Amino acid sequence: MNRREKKVEQYDVVIIGGGAAGLTAGIYCGRARLKTLLIEKSLVGGLATYTNEIENYPGFPDGATGTDLMNLFQKQAKRFGVTFKLTDVKGVHLEGETKVVETFRTDYHAKVVIVASGGKPRLTGAKGEDAYLYDKGISFCATCDAAANTGKTVLVVGSGDAAIEEGMFLTKFADKVIVSVMHDTGVMDCNEIAKNQALSNPKMEFLWNTMVEEFRGGERLNSVALRNVKTGEITDVTVDSCFLFIGYLPNTEIFKGQLDMNRAGYLLVNERMETNLPGVFGAGDVCDKFLKQVATAVGDGAIAGYSAERYIAESEIVERQILCDGKPKAVYIWNAVQPECRALLPVFEQLEQECADCLDVVRVDVYKSKGIARRLDVCEAPCTVIVKDGKVEQRISGCGITKECILEAIR
Amino acid sequence: MAEFTLDCLGEACPIPLMKTEKKLEGLAVGDILIVSIDHSCAMKNIPEWARKQGHNVEIDEVDDGEWEVVIEKTK
Repeated sequence: MNRREKKVEQYDVVIIGGGAAGLTAGIYCGRARLKTLLIEKSLVGGLATYTNEIENYPGFPDGATGTDLMNLFQKQAKRFGVTFKLTDVKGVHLEGETKVVETFRTDYHAKVVIVASGGKPRLTGAKGEDAYLYDKGISFCATCDAAANTGKTVLVVGSGDAAIEEGMFLTKFADKVIVSVMHDTGVMDCNEIAKNQALSNPKMEFLWNTMVEEFRGGERLNSVALRNVKTGEITDVTVDSCFLFIGYLPNTEIFKGQLDMNRAGYLLVNERMETNLPGVFGAGDVCDKFLKQVATAVGDGAIAGYSAERYIAESEIVERQILCDGKPKAVYIWNAVQPECRALLPVFEQLEQECADCLDVVRVDVYKSKGIARRLDVCEAPCTVIVKDGKVEQRISGCGITKECILEAIR
Repeated sequence: MAEFTLDCLGEACPIPLMKTEKKLEGLAVGDILIVSIDHSCAMKNIPEWARKQGHNVEIDEVDDGEWEVVIEKTK
């Protein structure tokens, strides 16, 4: 489709996704003076903006709406110079030193990519669903579509926090909110407070042990056929709109084949938010994790932002001081807390004093960060890496490190 | 593959959306339409509508509270 010449723009960091995780990563990257771009496909704020009340995010004793909270996140990211672009990411090339993130008009080149693309609502997979999505009657956001249902009858599918809280919000507008719950009478997945409020809400009606069988209607949704999971009985419920709150799926299609993920498609990351590819980090709901909350997304984003800064700093050291032209280099990889590593330090002081004209000494302390050592394929200190003309020539490890053998290797 | 602009500054919803729909109708596939808006609800409904039609959409914040919605007509 794209016959047009694409623009190319350079950034240090490109963050994909503008939810709590992406915005926090943006704050950290921006504050580290990295040139940072955040790409969001719809509106900044992510899933948090679909929740009307956020009562458990620390620092807001009176609660906050998701939208207000996310606007504050964005304001803070903007203050640190993060650039925002509201568009879809069409594709990515994440292997190699320079990562490419494509949108329909521009290719963004970056040293680091942080994937914070979150998820999207899960569908029931029931018959007729495709025909009535979004403006045709099936909605995923009460905050967005509640007002349009003033005085009407709506069906909510699900019994988690989102389903029940959004359902209660809908009762402020709709005349009747019918909730389809697949569990037995009185069993719900949401928190106890929401449950008790919902059960005593006169506008809410619960249909227990039911699942969606089919969405029916003409141009627009007219009714939803629910199947009783115990008896198999089908009930046709006439509604004006249906809201699905049955969980989320990760937005990871464009990363398939490049980033490692679990069977459900969630990204696999370690405690530093590193993916399988160097320079690519994950954060927030898109990752395979135990608890998905604004507070945990913020934690992920902070780690990913910090990791990005570390990665770029280490890349620069490797590029400018180690794998560069000029004199041969003796790179001493040591650990400040290991006595045997400290014992070898005089060797390098001597080399520096006596052989400054024929070699450069670079010291890398792995106690602070193992990043550079990993890039030189060194997993244990002490080790000396000999670099000539920007290429690793030799690795001398352990007690083999002497002034003589280093000089020998340089020659 | 020409580029067109549509100035909707100062106009409230749903006028920017209606103007966009009308203007895009007359364009050829591959053409780009840049709609200038300063009404935040148009930032939601224009992209939503355009994406639903299958067009490519990008939003640029050109100034505080002023946006350009860039639409590439794809069909």
